[in-house]
Amino acid sequence: MSPQAALHSEVFRNYFFIMLGVLVIAGLVLSFVTWVLKKPITSIWATYKSWLIMAPVVLGFVFAGRAAIIIFLCFIAMMGFKEFARATGLYRDWWMVGAVYLGIIAIGITSLIRQPQGDEAGEGWYGLFIVLPVYVVALIVLIPIVRNRVQGQLQSMALALVGFVYIGWMFGHLAFLANANNAYGYLLYVIFATEINDVAAFTCGKLFGKHPFRSNISPKKTWEGAIGAMLVSMALPWVLRFSFPYFGTLQLVLTGLIVGIGGQMGDLSISVIKRDIGIKDMGAGIPGHGGILDRIDSLIYVAPLFFHMAGYYYFMR
Amino acid sequence: MNWSYEPAGDLDQPMAERLRRFPREPDLSVYAARSCASLIIRSWLRLYHRFEVSGAEHLPADGSFVIVANHASHLDTLCILSALPLRKLHRAFPAAAQDYFFVSIPRLAIAAVVVNALPFGRRGNIRNSLEMCRHLLENAGNILILFPEGTRTRNGQMDEFKPGIGLLAAGTQIPIVPCYLSGAFEAWPKGKILPRPRRLRLKIGAPKTYAGFAAGKESSLQISADLRSAVAALAL
Repeated sequence: MSPQAALHSEVFRNYFFIMLGVLVIAGLVLSFVTWVLKKPITSIWATYKSWLIMAPVVLGFVFAGRAAIIIFLCFIAMMGFKEFARATGLYRDWWMVGAVYLGIIAIGITSLIRQPQGDEAGEGWYGLFIVLPVYVVALIVLIPIVRNRVQGQLQSMALALVGFVYIGWMFGHLAFLANANNAYGYLLYVIFATEINDVAAFTCGKLFGKHPFRSNISPKKTWEGAIGAMLVSMALPWVLRFSFPYFGTLQLVLTGLIVGIGGQMGDLSISVIKRDIGIKDMGAGIPGHGGILDRIDSLIYVAPLFFHMAGYYYFMR
Repeated sequence: MNWSYEPAGDLDQPMAERLRRFPREPDLSVYAARSCASLIIRSWLRLYHRFEVSGAEHLPADGSFVIVANHASHLDTLCILSALPLRKLHRAFPAAAQDYFFVSIPRLAIAAVVVNALPFGRRGNIRNSLEMCRHLLENAGNILILFPEGTRTRNGQMDEFKPGIGLLAAGTQIPIVPCYLSGAFEAWPKGKILPRPRRLRLKIGAPKTYAGFAAGKESSLQISADLRSAVAALAL
C-alpha cells in the first residue's frame, strides 16, 4: 500500500467513488426529508456531518499507505480504550491503563515490522501479533504484584484485559489486514460494509421497527432493524464483489454473515457495557455518534472474524 | 458479584468542555503533554532568559501552600511553575482569569493543558472562585499560585493586592509563600506579541501564616497589604 498503489488500484478508486456517491445520495435524501417532507431530523444531520469528516479521514489514511493506516487504527484503538477506561473508572489506575497502551503500541509494531528471523513471508509479524494477549496478560497480572496491592485488583485486571483483548487486539486485526495482498479490498470492504450495516440497522429500525430485539440491552434496537441490516449485509458481498474477485459463493455468504451478525453483536456488546455502567454514550468525541467506541463497536467484532475467515481460505500475504 | 464502576464525571462532554471545568478529571494524555511542555519551557527560560531561582529552600516540602507573586507578564506563571520540582507539576494550579484564558480554544489549551490553570472569575463570582481555591488547598500537596494584583501591571510598578488572598489566608494554617520575579516586565510587557531575551530572576521568600486573624474585610485588607510588602521586600 502506498499513494501510487492506491491511485493504480481499481478497488481503491471504486471505493472512493462509492463512498462519495453514498454521501452525496444520503445528503440529497436528508435534504428531501428536511425541506420537502418538513420533518425535523436535526440529530441525523449531526450524524451525517460527522460522516462527512470521518469518511475522507479513513480513506485518506488508506490512501497514504500501510504504515499510515496501521498507526491511525492503533491511535483509534487507543482512543477507544481511553473511553472505555474513563467509562469504567479504570482510568484512575494509571499502571493498568499504561500496560494496555503498551499492548496497543505492540499491536502497531507487530503489524508494521517483519518477523526478525523465521519463515514468515511478507510484512507484519503474524506469529507475535496473534499471541500478543499472552504477553499483555502476563504484564497486567504483574502490576499488582509489583505494586504490592490487593484491594480491587481483580476488577482492574479484568477491565484492563477486556479493554486490551476486545478494543485493542480484536480491533487491531483491522490494522494487520493492511498487510494482506488484497489490503485495499479487505480493509475497505470491512470498514464500508460494517458501517453500512450499522446505518441499515438504524434506518430499518426507524422506518419499520416495532418488536424490541434485546430489550434489556438496547431498548431502541428492533428485530425489523436487525433483519433489514442482515439483508443488506448479505447482499453487499455480491454488489462489491470486485473487492475480492476470487471469493467463491461460500466465502461471499460467510462474509455477509460475519458483517450482518457480527456487526450487530459488536454494537450490542458495547451496549451491554454501557448499560451495566449506567451511561448513554461512551464519550462525546464524535458529534451525533457519541464516542469513538460507539462508532467502532461493530468493527471490533467483525474485523477478527473476517480476518480469520479470509486467512483460512486464501493466502493472506 | 458487585463491582463498582466510577465513570469519569465529564464523560458526556467534548474535550473543550472537559478542559473548561474545574476540578478537571485526570487525563494521561493531558499529563503527558504538560510534562513535555514543561521540559521545553524550563529549557527555554534557562537558555533564552537566563532564568535563575533563589530561595527555593523556602518552599514547603509537603502539605498544601499558596504562592503569591507580582504580575508583570505571562512569563510569571511559567517561571514559578519552572521553579517547582517537576513531580509537583500536576499539583500546581495557577489561578488564571476565567474571562481571558477560559474562552477561546487556543488560550484554553494553554491554560488547562500547559499551565494547569484554575479558572478564577474576576467579575461577580469571586466568592465561588475563592471557595474553589479553599477546596483545592484542603487536599494535601496542592499548590495554588495567585497574582493578587488581579492583572498584569501596565507600567512595571506593582499594583495594590486585592483582598481575596486575605480572605483565603485569614484564620488558616496554610503557608503563603511570597515571591518576586524581576525582569518579566522588561522581557514581555502587556501588549507585546513576543518576549525579548531579558534576564529573569525569581526570589522566593519565607512562608507566612495568618492563623491569628479572624476572617473579615478588615483583616483581609491587612493581610493583603502585609503580603504585598513581603513581596516588595524581595524586590530590593
